[in-house]
Amino acid sequence: MQYVSDHPILGKGEAKELTIFFDGKPVKGYEGQTVAAILMENGVRTFRYTAKRREPRGLYCGIGQCTDCIMIIDGVPNTKACMTFAKEGMRTETQHGNGKTVDAGRENADERV
Amino acid sequence: MDEEKIICRCEEVTEKEIMQAIEGGARSLDEVKKRTRAGMGYCQGKTCKKLIARMLSSYTGEPMEKFLPGSIRMPVGPVSLSVLAASEEAAKEGTK
Amino acid sequence: MREGRTPMKEYDAIVIGGGPAGLGAAIEVAKAGGHPVLIDENARPGGQLFKQIHKFFGSREHYAGTRGFAIGEKLLQEAEDEKVEVQLNTRVWGIFPDHIVTAVSGKEAVCFRGKTIILAAGASENSLSFPGCTLPGVMMAGAAQTMMNLYRTLPGKEILMIGSGNVGLIVAYQLMQAGAHVKMLIDAAAETNGYEVHAAKIKRAGVPIRLGHTIVRAEGNGRVESAVICKVDAAFHPVPGTEEKIDVDTVCVAVGLSPRVELSALAGCRFTWAGALGGQVPVHTSGMETTVPGIYVAGDGAGTEEASTALDQGRMAGVSAAHRCGLLSDLREAEEHRKIQERLDMLRSGQFGEKRKSAEQAVWKAAGE
Repeated sequence: MQYVSDHPILGKGEAKELTIFFDGKPVKGYEGQTVAAILMENGVRTFRYTAKRREPRGLYCGIGQCTDCIMIIDGVPNTKACMTFAKEGMRTETQHGNGKTVDAGRENADERV
Repeated sequence: MDEEKIICRCEEVTEKEIMQAIEGGARSLDEVKKRTRAGMGYCQGKTCKKLIARMLSSYTGEPMEKFLPGSIRMPVGPVSLSVLAASEEAAKEGTK
Repeated sequence: MREGRTPMKEYDAIVIGGGPAGLGAAIEVAKAGGHPVLIDENARPGGQLFKQIHKFFGSREHYAGTRGFAIGEKLLQEAEDEKVEVQLNTRVWGIFPDHIVTAVSGKEAVCFRGKTIILAAGASENSLSFPGCTLPGVMMAGAAQTMMNLYRTLPGKEILMIGSGNVGLIVAYQLMQAGAHVKMLIDAAAETNGYEVHAAKIKRAGVPIRLGHTIVRAEGNGRVESAVICKVDAAFHPVPGTEEKIDVDTVCVAVGLSPRVELSALAGCRFTWAGALGGQVPVHTSGMETTVPGIYVAGDGAGTEEASTALDQGRMAGVSAAHRCGLLSDLREAEEHRKIQERLDMLRSGQFGEKRKSAEQAVWKAAGE
């Protein structure tokens, strides 16, 4: 998981650096990257835990269709990380279940099972 | 060993659960959806539709196309109620 | 967080999807003197073109020898030259009678009315299910391509690629260009249906291609750490005793594309099945008109082929729409259709192209042509 700063076809990367936050921790990325790209680049593959089985999910389709990559971004749950361009200071958080409350995922899981 | 295969990623529905629904009489994507919630989740079946149609086709012997595209209704994709309300206003104004 | 609405505008053509098909369509409508609007849910138009860093082949008219992203830039320039109105970050959620299209842009409701609608929303990658398929690290080949070629993010280091069609072969090569190690490429089929030139590239780079193999499961603690594959027989049943474990951190799935049918279904289009074109496709004429008058379809959303076919189908649909709006005479429309059809026929030559050509002709027949 890394940033390809010198690519045989794309050439050298010249975008400006920026910092976003993941679960409160600062994470470095570049302008023009999506939240999903920056997180993956920094070794984060789990963006959320499912409601029923509380299983980790991350990038799957990468194009805004499958909704596996949804996270809480700047306080808004169910936001597609692969379709959200990073801005300086953006706050991203691991979503649990439907993201309404921290324990929503766990509550639903107990009720359904 | 019966390893679990998740077919509907959004609602976490396994192949076994879908097979049970089909064996129990489900003969369309909608009927499978109503019994298992497969296709009811955030992506509204975009990801699992073809997989379920294949299972239905396999079981019934009918071609896959019989079961697709299933029912598709507006809105396509999540839309907030305030946007829906504003859209209705705009549409009314535009048709004057 | 102010919700607002933009009053409805009327256009000659509402083009939904800003990839090569949509761009081609909007450009042709504008060239004919019409006023199209090109809508795309992304922040940038171009569809999949900007992710294609390899050189396209074909004729000069098809930009042979040019990289996908360069073709994208040319198209954007052409659209700009024709003063095509583009609305980005705008996601269509509804199509109503009288060609009214509703969309959302951020928190704003946007409505459009058009004399015609051209659906060019593309295709989606087919999903594959196997134990462990939801583990982070299992992703579509397109997702890996997007990460690398748009954002310079390496999606993983040790890759298993599933699928030996063009997408699997091309993305495997691009993964290597970005610095990943493609440990193996597998396909359950006995033969690859991708272009030999792509297969040759990765073979030369030493990637083992195992046809007649499938994935048994992906394994790992919270993320992919290994995958188990096995041989399959001619009926695709796993052959007992042939399981093999490989250490990978990423499993890429490239098992075909299907046209996105949501918008065509909403618009009331009738569908037909065309296996060689990705499955369910909206019935359309050679002029790209669907079974709903005034609604056209083009590109992968009409049947999954290639970027060059998408572009020409877009142009075809644009010409038809312009004619319907009274911007082109019957004679002009026929002339343009003929020229574009000639180019499409050229693209659909060769062993794979022939299959798509007959499939496409069957679709026209279903439209009553």
